[in-house]
Amino acid sequence: MKLIHLTIATAILALTVSSCKKDEPITPTPTPETGNIVVTSNVTVNTTWTNDNIYQLGGRITVTNGITLTIEAGTVIKGEAGTGANATALLVARGGKLMANGTATLPIVFTSVADEITSADLVAGNFGSPNLASDVDGLWGGIIVLGKAPISASNSGSDLAQVQIEGIPTSDANGLYGGTDATDNSGSITYVSIRHGGTNIGSGNEINGLTLGGVGSGTTVENIEIVANQDDGIEWFGGTVNVTNVVSWNCNDDALDTDQAWAGTLDNFVVISPAGHCFELDGPEGTMTATHTIKNGTVIASDGTRNAQDLINVDANSMVNLTNIHITGIQTGQQVNRVTASGVVFSGITMDVLSADLASHVNGTVPAGITVGGSTSPQADLTRFSWTWAAEAGKL
Amino acid sequence: MKKLYFIALLLTSSLVYSQGTISGTVFDGETGETIINATVQVLGTSKGAVTDFDGNFSFKLKSDTYDLKISFISYETILVKKVFVANNETTILEEIKIDQKSEEMAVFTVVGEQVRNTEGALDIIKMNDVKMLDGITSDKIKLTGDGTAGEAAKRITGVSVDGGKYIYVRGLGDRYTKTTLNGVSIPGLDPDRNSLQMDIFPSNLISNIIVSKNFTADLSPDFAGGAINIETTAFPDKKVFDVSFGMSYNPQMHFNNEFLSYEGGNTDFLGFDNGTRSLPTNANSNNIPTPISGASKEEVYDFVTSFDKELGAKQQTSLTDYSLALTFGNQFDLKNQKSKRISYIMSASYKSEYKFYDNVTYGEYQKSLESSDTELKYATVQNGQIGERQFLIGLLGGIAYKTNEDQLKFTAMHLQNAEKRAAQFNIDNNGEAVGQSGYIASSDNLEFNQRGLTNFLLEGEHIREKSNWEINWKLSPTFSSSEDPDIRKTAFTNAPLDTFFSAGAGGNPTRIWRNLNEMNLAAKVDLTKKYSFREKEGKLKFGFSEIYKSRDYEILFFDVQFFGGQNWTNSNPNKVLDQENLYTQGGNNIYFQSGNKNPNPNSYESSVNNIGLYVSNEYMLSKKLNTIVGLRAENYVQRHTGRDQLYASGDEFNGTNLEDEKVLESFDLFPSVNLIYKVKEKQNLRFSYGRTIARPSFKELSFAQILDPISNRIFNGSLFKYADWDGNLQETRIDNLDVRWELYKKVGQMISVSGFYKFFDKPIELVRIPEQQTSTEYQPRNVGDGMVLGLEFEFKTNIEMISSEKNIFSLSGNLILVNSQITMTDAEYNSRNGYIKKGESITNKRQMAGQSPFVVNCGIMFTNKESEIQSGLFYNVKGPTLYIVGAGLFPDIYTDPFHSLNFSINKKIGKDKRTKIDFKVSNLLGDNNYNYYSSFEAENQPYSEFNIGRTVSVGVSHKF
Repeated sequence: MKLIHLTIATAILALTVSSCKKDEPITPTPTPETGNIVVTSNVTVNTTWTNDNIYQLGGRITVTNGITLTIEAGTVIKGEAGTGANATALLVARGGKLMANGTATLPIVFTSVADEITSADLVAGNFGSPNLASDVDGLWGGIIVLGKAPISASNSGSDLAQVQIEGIPTSDANGLYGGTDATDNSGSITYVSIRHGGTNIGSGNEINGLTLGGVGSGTTVENIEIVANQDDGIEWFGGTVNVTNVVSWNCNDDALDTDQAWAGTLDNFVVISPAGHCFELDGPEGTMTATHTIKNGTVIASDGTRNAQDLINVDANSMVNLTNIHITGIQTGQQVNRVTASGVVFSGITMDVLSADLASHVNGTVPAGITVGGSTSPQADLTRFSWTWAAEAGKL
Repeated sequence: MKKLYFIALLLTSSLVYSQGTISGTVFDGETGETIINATVQVLGTSKGAVTDFDGNFSFKLKSDTYDLKISFISYETILVKKVFVANNETTILEEIKIDQKSEEMAVFTVVGEQVRNTEGALDIIKMNDVKMLDGITSDKIKLTGDGTAGEAAKRITGVSVDGGKYIYVRGLGDRYTKTTLNGVSIPGLDPDRNSLQMDIFPSNLISNIIVSKNFTADLSPDFAGGAINIETTAFPDKKVFDVSFGMSYNPQMHFNNEFLSYEGGNTDFLGFDNGTRSLPTNANSNNIPTPISGASKEEVYDFVTSFDKELGAKQQTSLTDYSLALTFGNQFDLKNQKSKRISYIMSASYKSEYKFYDNVTYGEYQKSLESSDTELKYATVQNGQIGERQFLIGLLGGIAYKTNEDQLKFTAMHLQNAEKRAAQFNIDNNGEAVGQSGYIASSDNLEFNQRGLTNFLLEGEHIREKSNWEINWKLSPTFSSSEDPDIRKTAFTNAPLDTFFSAGAGGNPTRIWRNLNEMNLAAKVDLTKKYSFREKEGKLKFGFSEIYKSRDYEILFFDVQFFGGQNWTNSNPNKVLDQENLYTQGGNNIYFQSGNKNPNPNSYESSVNNIGLYVSNEYMLSKKLNTIVGLRAENYVQRHTGRDQLYASGDEFNGTNLEDEKVLESFDLFPSVNLIYKVKEKQNLRFSYGRTIARPSFKELSFAQILDPISNRIFNGSLFKYADWDGNLQETRIDNLDVRWELYKKVGQMISVSGFYKFFDKPIELVRIPEQQTSTEYQPRNVGDGMVLGLEFEFKTNIEMISSEKNIFSLSGNLILVNSQITMTDAEYNSRNGYIKKGESITNKRQMAGQSPFVVNCGIMFTNKESEIQSGLFYNVKGPTLYIVGAGLFPDIYTDPFHSLNFSINKKIGKDKRTKIDFKVSNLLGDNNYNYYSSFEAENQPYSEFNIGRTVSVGVSHKF
């Protein structure tokens, strides 16, 4: 069986190579060694990745303007190793669309080539990696979705309403994002688990598990899991997209990070033991201002071995409503920083500490919206996360 | 009016027969050219000599007092009286001039080589050359005590030196400066700059440095500020055997037990690495062993351990700087053929230095987003110490064969230099700044840079007096390399509860190998025919030159990765690669990941072929007006082999790959007109127009993306199209207009005033990319048109009031004032306007980058002939200069004036006055090197700052 597979693969490879012309993209072909389909070219025609293949990202693969990449439920996509500007990643450029719609029984998994997981594992309901631990990070890049929705970047007073996304060097103009179309549609991303990514680019320059830069409200982002990203779990750079049902587990920097006046809502999420901030919520950088809402979540600030740097970190000009978030696993020294920022509203934030210790976990006067609370406090609806590796590993 | 000048160096040797040697040089007082076949007679004896090809003569005499008579056809005879030749004394005779004979003699053209190593001779050259020249000679360098060409060059009118390495002429950046060695092009050693690093030339190998500030057709046209030529030590006409030794002490840097260094290799002191820092085998392979590459645990472990384990800087006590130099040379006649001579020279020097900067700051600052808030906000500030060891070896050997009509010279030179640096920094990243997430880290940086330059020069000079032809030719290959093997940066991120490595904060430990090799082949031939037309003298010059140069450059880098979580009980960087932290040996599971694709987008090969042809005519239109009109044609082809990231990662359809493709081809004509009006004797008024060019460098016309691991700043080659940049970098054509009035008084005394105007057609500047806000990225781009308007003033005079025959006080100074202007691109103008502050007004004009608004140089010198003391106090400063052009959020960066005040004194001692003792104090004012961010009504903030302290140097040299 394997031999036949190999023969077909070789035949297709030979055919493709012989029919290669400069003006048409290469048809991806499975490699003889792994059977994976190695993708090395940008997606410049509408393309579907089907769940009978494993797709291997050979570089920074960009879905270009006007093009749709569809990924079937139950498909596994694996990034090759690489670091620096050569990190592998899936980039959806402005005007491009990613239709990656998994289901609760058949999610889509983005991981590293080192991960032995297959579509068959997913079909069998085994969502965790068969061979990689849940804290192995930095093996590849991540997913970057860029759109034309407004951002509050620092040059927005002038004609520079677009900026370059973090993690993509300026040698690639597909890294530009931002615009004026608040309802911009970058596609639909549901039931997607992104693992072991976030490879190092340079200090302070990074690839997040899921980067959403200027993504518009026409885009659907629901049921997302990030596991062991070397940088942030999800980072928003402006935009208007709403995101629901998120797990961010074992990220080596911030679990959730917002910048440039993201004007959307994150509803229902679980954050587990990031190494950086649980929330890194920055203010607008340009003249445009907007508030985002983060609500209905559970935060496990330490799982015993991995400790978050702090609990909530905002800037003086941050604008965010934090509502109904329960924080547990809190260690001595972990704090909510800067509670004086006028644009930040805390309500229903409960901390699983002794009343006497509450003040020590807040840097400043404890706001009315932050109280001591136990496990009955309002928090995430965990029933939505049955499909995640975190659930399978019993981390929720 | 023809005058003879005469410099005689009276040498007395300590032979038992009480004999001494008189030798000297005779040259034309007007042109500075040496005179062949002048007769030198010792009156009252039968002794006499005829000057050689270089105008030199020498003969031996018994110890006594003599009168010398020097004569030459059509020149007034010189009589030098009471020349004392004694055993125990060395006398330098002053330059003596006499007037031309009153009666007209038959026209006789004087040809020969110019004397260029004394300041007096330089003045004569300046006065008579068709170019507007300025320079410095070995004579003055000995007085100022400058150790390298870089230090010496800043004494030259209108010249300033950046970082001791890069020359700016008339305040124009190094892009507009062309440096040649002995008249031929040589490769630069810095992949990041266009011009040559001047600090690699030890001053004992230098005869002179001369700057041509205007263009004539026989020069390469790729300059605007100035064309600088370094001439190496001249061939001797007598036996020379000089030895010198020097030491310096800087209280901040030396005998300091906090000095930082690292082990490195055991040949570091010789200026090269012994292989300790070599790239491990397999590291360059496509698939290095990692936990996810399919390699076995053992292979991964072996691969990790093949890297040097040392990642941390360590403290050790520094010693002092010292230097050694040795020069040996002689000239002898071929058997029985007095007119055929061989001379040779060998020179070697070695220098070892310790630099310790105990308070270094690197900053990244941003403007505030509020228009009412003018203050700057920090993004990242790094604070720490840098320890640096520098080693420099210079070797030069040459041999010349001379007859009265022909001269052949061969010179070989090798320079080897290493800089070994260890640094420790605390890094503070401000989460409130735009694009920053906020972290605290502490880093150890280990660097090693080795540079080598090997130059060969074969040149010939053939003079045919009868037919009035002169032919000069040069062939010169140069090979250079600059390598940074195993740069290591290890930065622990310090969170309140944990210390670990974080890709999104301080970064993972990184190691980098950079390699640059360059080859230059230069050939040129110049033919000169002297003629007479309508009883006026003229000179027709034409020639050909070809330069082929090629460079290959590669950057490889590797990151430490952790297969799983991290747990550090010991944050000592030298423990990071301990066995228990390596893959499958313990908790941290370290392995190396490659940042290099195959093909590598960070590697390129480029070449240039540049062919030039010119013709130039010099003609005395009247007795007072000399005209030089020339035209040069150049064909320039630059080729590039390289590829962008997209291609390198496998996208052959959307990516770009260039295989030896032309990235620049131009054919240009460079006209030049020079007029010299002799207002009076020794007083010239000059006018000059010339068209010149500034071409992009190899690196600029590439796909290279170069990350400086220490400052974390990224350079992007211009071939990348991005936002409003079309990826099409063009050369800059420059129109230059110059006027100069000059008056020469007695020897060594002069005054001149110059004015200049230059127009730049879309100059290239390094532009900060405003769309990139997380990392700091730059790209060279053509910006709007530029212009420079300047005034230059120079004088050298004796202070008669306080001088006597024995004690001479003299004063010299030069000042340059420049107004430069660039028209901003729309993108730059808009990005500045987006950050306009209340009360600020922004126009679309600004100062040119690298252009200093003023440069001041002055010195007061004292000479006592009797006690053989020379002393000087020298001051140099350059005005605040726009260093890097800001954009949007990022403010402009300026270089703060560095007030350099140095004092030096030397005295000759010993029976024959052959031993000289030097004493020098540098940076008397204790100024700091400071580059800063500047913004409207904001307090300046540091971009880089380090203190260099004061240095006291002592040197001894002896002539055998």
